[in-house]
Amino acid sequence: MQINFGGREIGIKLVYYGPALSGKTTNLRSLHQMTTEGSRGRLMTLETKDDRTLFFDMLPLTFRAAGSAARREGERSMTLRVKIFTVPGQVLHASTRRLVLQGADGVAFIADSQISETEHNAASFLDLRQNLAELGLSLKQLPVIIQFNKRDLDRVRSDDEIGALARRGREPVFKASAVNGQGVLETFFGLLHLTWTRLDAEHQLAKMIGVESTELVPMAARQLGLTGDVSTLLAACVGGNLDRHTTKVPA
Amino acid sequence: MTHDAPQVLVEDVLLDGRIRLEDLIDRDGLDELCRSFHALFGIPVRIYSTDGALLADAAGEQELCAYVNTTSEGRKACASVVGAVRACDPGETGDVVHPCFTGATYRILAIEYDGRRVGRLIVGPFLPNNLNDPPPSLYAIDPAIAPERAKSLLPKMPRAKAETVTRIAAHLKAVLDLILFSGHKAHVTSTMHLASVRESYRQLEEKTGRLQEAFDRLKELDRLKSNFLATVSHELRTPLTSIIGYSEMLAEGLAGELRPEQQEFVKTIHEKGEQLLSLIMGLLDLSKLESGTMRMAMRTARMEAVLREVVSTLTPTARKKGVHLELDLEAGLGEMRGDPERLRQVFLNLVENAIKFTPASGSVTLRTRMVAEEAADGEEEGLSLLAPTRSHLEVRVEDTGIGIPPRERAKVFDPFYQVDSSSTREYGGTGLGLSIVKRLVEAHSGDIRIEDNPPRGTTFVVSLPQVTPTVTEAPRVTG
Repeated sequence: MQINFGGREIGIKLVYYGPALSGKTTNLRSLHQMTTEGSRGRLMTLETKDDRTLFFDMLPLTFRAAGSAARREGERSMTLRVKIFTVPGQVLHASTRRLVLQGADGVAFIADSQISETEHNAASFLDLRQNLAELGLSLKQLPVIIQFNKRDLDRVRSDDEIGALARRGREPVFKASAVNGQGVLETFFGLLHLTWTRLDAEHQLAKMIGVESTELVPMAARQLGLTGDVSTLLAACVGGNLDRHTTKVPA
Repeated sequence: MTHDAPQVLVEDVLLDGRIRLEDLIDRDGLDELCRSFHALFGIPVRIYSTDGALLADAAGEQELCAYVNTTSEGRKACASVVGAVRACDPGETGDVVHPCFTGATYRILAIEYDGRRVGRLIVGPFLPNNLNDPPPSLYAIDPAIAPERAKSLLPKMPRAKAETVTRIAAHLKAVLDLILFSGHKAHVTSTMHLASVRESYRQLEEKTGRLQEAFDRLKELDRLKSNFLATVSHELRTPLTSIIGYSEMLAEGLAGELRPEQQEFVKTIHEKGEQLLSLIMGLLDLSKLESGTMRMAMRTARMEAVLREVVSTLTPTARKKGVHLELDLEAGLGEMRGDPERLRQVFLNLVENAIKFTPASGSVTLRTRMVAEEAADGEEEGLSLLAPTRSHLEVRVEDTGIGIPPRERAKVFDPFYQVDSSSTREYGGTGLGLSIVKRLVEAHSGDIRIEDNPPRGTTFVVSLPQVTPTVTEAPRVTG
């Protein structure tokens, strides 16, 4: 997270991690399509000609604090800039993955639901853990949610299986079919909610921005052109604890 | 725990908050873009950076402005308007109008990228659609301005509706945004490329360092092992010499006549003692060869004599096993530089091995030939210099034994290696012989390889360089 008091900006970095071809870029593309201009910027994709992510994709979102507290104080409004990155999933891009992961405030792990990909999911998760360790971070400290993508395909792990696993795990789990736009918003807002809750608890960001803690995610949703209630999106979570204040980092 | 964070931040690569119009856009290209807009819509366009530097200018001087500038007050007033426009901030909305005393107006618009201002677009001067006559403010500037002249020049100024200018400016801003995005993307791609290469290089360097350390440690361990072997073999040899000596004296009856059974026991002690001694000597040789402390008594060696001696030494062993041992020498073998004792050891070992692994009624052949190493013409550098010195003596030890599978061939020269551990029992041996042979051959700058001996068996090929062929004397010319 970066705070720029002079520019009245707060920067949050979210990273979509996962094995090759699990749908990280597709998530970003869908999110880009499902939100309105204004708050969201241009999607930058750096890929090879066969559509494989080479370095990363990046979707910038810009939210202007418009909470009641901000209006009351009449100060110049703060800007919350959220940048969503994807990492290149292919094994050979290990060093790029580490570069992108550095400084992440939250991670969405995009897993492939196909039974045949189970091992790749596990290997990529271990790779995430290893890279975090080398960056001096741990999964315990970082807000992480898991998305089981490609629910529309055959031969995928069953809902019951995922549900049972999700209830046992600590990370919130969402199911998605990113190519059809299903579960994409749920995953993004789930991650934003978890990350915001964590950062706010640590740095009192809500006060800094001038919004109520619980007001930020709905505000972001409105600025992205969503009309419904964010809590219904968050309710799609099938396991883990979306409302936990992640373990406090010792000072 | 030590952390190895990469030295580059993706946020830095992205130029987060530090994007400047002038860094991402080609100046000449920007100028061309503005000129083409000017040509298309007839309205002057200028682009300024955030810190006020003029980046592109497509605005020729209007005739009315040129005329006003001929008067002293007009010139001052014009300069003040232009200065004000240049310094004008586009405000919260990013779009402000600035009037000119001629009745024309300027539009100052913010150029934004990624939600941040990166420059200003100044459109104008142009006339509002409904203005037909110069306003009084023009004449008030300087009495020298002639109304007729001003009135005739005014219509030459470009004229546009405010909405049209808004649309034109929006279009220009969209084009600029696309160019900025492309420039930004190209910048990110190239910087990320460099950063990734650096990061990979850094990781590789770390790994190489760790491997080098491990390698150095292993080398040191290997040296310690060789030293240990040398010391231990030496210490073992001393008492063993006594065992062999005393058992020999017992067998010779120096301590009184022995009964046949006692004689047999003593003989076994003596034999096993000799066997142990040769094993210890082998270990000692190996450790010396590995540590490079083996001293070779290099002198002129006649290979023919060496090989004949080997054959005569081993003929009884071969005969006892029913194996036919044959020596096939090429004429004119000549002499070479080497240690005859060590060369004898090499071939004794190879031939003994061949006999050991060849069943009864098989054959072992020791064959020699001179090989001139011939590179194909033009394929080797310096051929004319090197070719005459390249000749090798090849000694082939061919057997009709059990053979060695190709994948095992490289390993048989490793110390203590046996192709089949069960064959240790069947054929005996310490597994040291071939590793010593290989090192001895290499100490003579030669090499050893294994080939098939069709239809059955193995051929060990020893190739030794620098043989001086026997000089056959030239026929004496008598006359």
